[in-house]
Amino acid sequence: MFTRPPATIDVRNLAKRYGSVEAVRDVSFELHSGEIFGLLGQNGAGKTTTIECLLGLRRPDSGTITINGIDVSTNPAKSRQLVGAQLQSAALQDKITPQEALRLFASFYSKPTNTDQLLAQFDLVTKARKPFESLSGGQKQRLFLALALVNNPEILVLDEPTAGLDPRARRELHQIISGLKSAGKTVLLSTHNLDEASTLCDRIGILHHGQMIATATPTELVARARANPRLTFRTTRPLDAAHVAALPQTTSHKEEGLSWQIITTDVNRTLSALVNELAATGNEMLDLQIQRPTLEDVFIELTGQAWSEAGAEETA
Amino acid sequence: MSAGKLLSGLSQHFLLSLKLNFRSTQAIVYGYLVPIFFLFAFGSVFRSDIPPLLFQMGQLLTISILGGACFGLPTALVAEREQGVWRRYRLLPVPAGSLVASTLVVRLIIVGSAAVLQILLAKLIYHTPLPLHAGQIFVAFLFVGFAFLGLGLLVAALANNVPAVQALGQCLFLPMIMIGGVGVPLAALPLWAQRVSGFMPGRYAVDVLQRCFTDPHGLHGAEFSLLSLVVIGAAAGCAGLKLFRWEPGSRLNRSALTWLGIALLAWIGAGLAAAATGHLDPVLTNAVAYESVTTEQINQITYEGLPGDNELVTRLSPPFKPNAVPERAKEFALRLKAWPLSYADDPGQAVRNLLSVAAVADIGADVREAEIGRVVFNELQARYERDTLCHILTWVILRPDDGTVITLVPGLRLRRELSEPIVRERCVLYAKKYLGRLTGKLPD
Repeated sequence: MFTRPPATIDVRNLAKRYGSVEAVRDVSFELHSGEIFGLLGQNGAGKTTTIECLLGLRRPDSGTITINGIDVSTNPAKSRQLVGAQLQSAALQDKITPQEALRLFASFYSKPTNTDQLLAQFDLVTKARKPFESLSGGQKQRLFLALALVNNPEILVLDEPTAGLDPRARRELHQIISGLKSAGKTVLLSTHNLDEASTLCDRIGILHHGQMIATATPTELVARARANPRLTFRTTRPLDAAHVAALPQTTSHKEEGLSWQIITTDVNRTLSALVNELAATGNEMLDLQIQRPTLEDVFIELTGQAWSEAGAEETA
Repeated sequence: MSAGKLLSGLSQHFLLSLKLNFRSTQAIVYGYLVPIFFLFAFGSVFRSDIPPLLFQMGQLLTISILGGACFGLPTALVAEREQGVWRRYRLLPVPAGSLVASTLVVRLIIVGSAAVLQILLAKLIYHTPLPLHAGQIFVAFLFVGFAFLGLGLLVAALANNVPAVQALGQCLFLPMIMIGGVGVPLAALPLWAQRVSGFMPGRYAVDVLQRCFTDPHGLHGAEFSLLSLVVIGAAAGCAGLKLFRWEPGSRLNRSALTWLGIALLAWIGAGLAAAATGHLDPVLTNAVAYESVTTEQINQITYEGLPGDNELVTRLSPPFKPNAVPERAKEFALRLKAWPLSYADDPGQAVRNLLSVAAVADIGADVREAEIGRVVFNELQARYERDTLCHILTWVILRPDDGTVITLVPGLRLRRELSEPIVRERCVLYAKKYLGRLTGKLPD
């Protein structure tokens, strides 16, 4: 019996230019079977261009993309059979129903997924015969995910699937995407949401100004960060700034009334000394937060720009 | 992907597109209510014609097809493209043009159903006769639809948004309506506009559709018009496919101008070919033609050499005695009164058509030929004032090659098809016999 080889995507030295704008430059990365790979970047970083080249919707100026060994540039239709995709700014006709849309798209594939099963899987049974225009944002995105699965693909490409959704709908979609991984699918997920990337993805590639500036697991990326942990706490009575500065391993501190923020190279030692100091002076700690370096810190270190500043610049 | 799967997908797309069309109020209004509005508009103007609307059906159907193709198709395509529907379609593993082709077939069916509705309503409300050639009108519709849908596809490719479709669509629609022989009949247009209309597909569309309603030969003789429609449609369709945009917000580059130029070249080519092959000869209104005949011209007509009424050609029976009209002449007179082509808008053409009946009976050696000659003469006198009839008959004699003649009259049980030049020649002879009797220069 015919068995497919493990699903992999291999992108090598991809470059794409629109007139004088270099959208993507020398981008390389690969996806291994069963993983969720996050393409992280601000608006305009080149995520959508990379995905469109990968899906054969745009012809790269240079570089190669293969899906399961099939060259996308020379065999776009064949490679599209292997991939399910959800694209940004794609839509359906206002009057089409989810059931009709799924049946229509399924009819083009030789081994489609059962559409009723997809409606149930994506909690769209009650909306199956309602027009697309009447669906909520979350329901529409769930339908697009269902459409991406209509050809029963091993590889899924999702371009900012949670953009514009409210927190509840976003959580629902995160669960679905995690479920896809559990079902053995390989997922390429583009996002500009740092939390989403670190929560969902096994590995992340950070795109900035069309270049891939880092590729690793979220833990590896954070571990590479030079930034130190932060202790943020609040006390019932004021603290002596000199005592705080003298806490072991503290590199800097900041005071805002009864609230303090300490940067430390050793959380355990600083925290232990702080607790002793408070106990000795009869002061009480109201709350405490330990913040490890985040992907945002990684991004700042890699680009020299804050995440939000970079986004503003890109979209301007 | 297998061919069977592709066909299955495309048939799903086709059926769903049809279904979605009927769910859209806007599509119903523009697809069906507007054509019905045009039917009533034409009906209110031409209701006094006998039979009403018959000689305007080509124009009416052309307007509907033109509207559906130049507005309906591109509006739907551009709205879906800008919405992102075609971006999603693009992910399907099907050849790029197949979904476009499916969309075009859907539009062809929508426009066709609107045309059928117009024909049936015209019959029901105004008693407009059905097309003489039901099969051929389907063929004519396919040619016209092909040309106009090609143009619609090009409009969709050029328009950045739906308002732009309206603007570009009007650039095609209005000139064809005003000076292209679609809204205003060719004969009513000044000569310069008639020449310009030869460069527009609307003129050829009206020609082929109208022939199926009133021309006994149907599409025979319409080869030039059919070819022009194919060339114009193919050029526009190729340009439209080449420039087709799947992505919302995408813009055309400069090569678009080249493709637009190719589409326009087809119009220019059709016009120049029409001019070179005599297809742009002026179409004169009957009023202009026969009213320009002077009394002096009528008096100058000579009758020497006319065959006698009982000779082999152009036989003409003596006047019927009031109470002794032969039964078969009576029956033929009734059929002639109901014959639609004798009621052409243009009295000059209507008389020429009636003369054709006498000529066809004569050439075909019908046993009733002499009686038919008399019935036609009686009918002419009953319908027209003597003075007007003299002018028209003189015009037929002086301009034997103007207008058209009928060479086959199955509706009057004259089923033998004859050569046009001979029919024209006999028409002139009968016109002389009738004129001579009206002016008293020939005994009756």
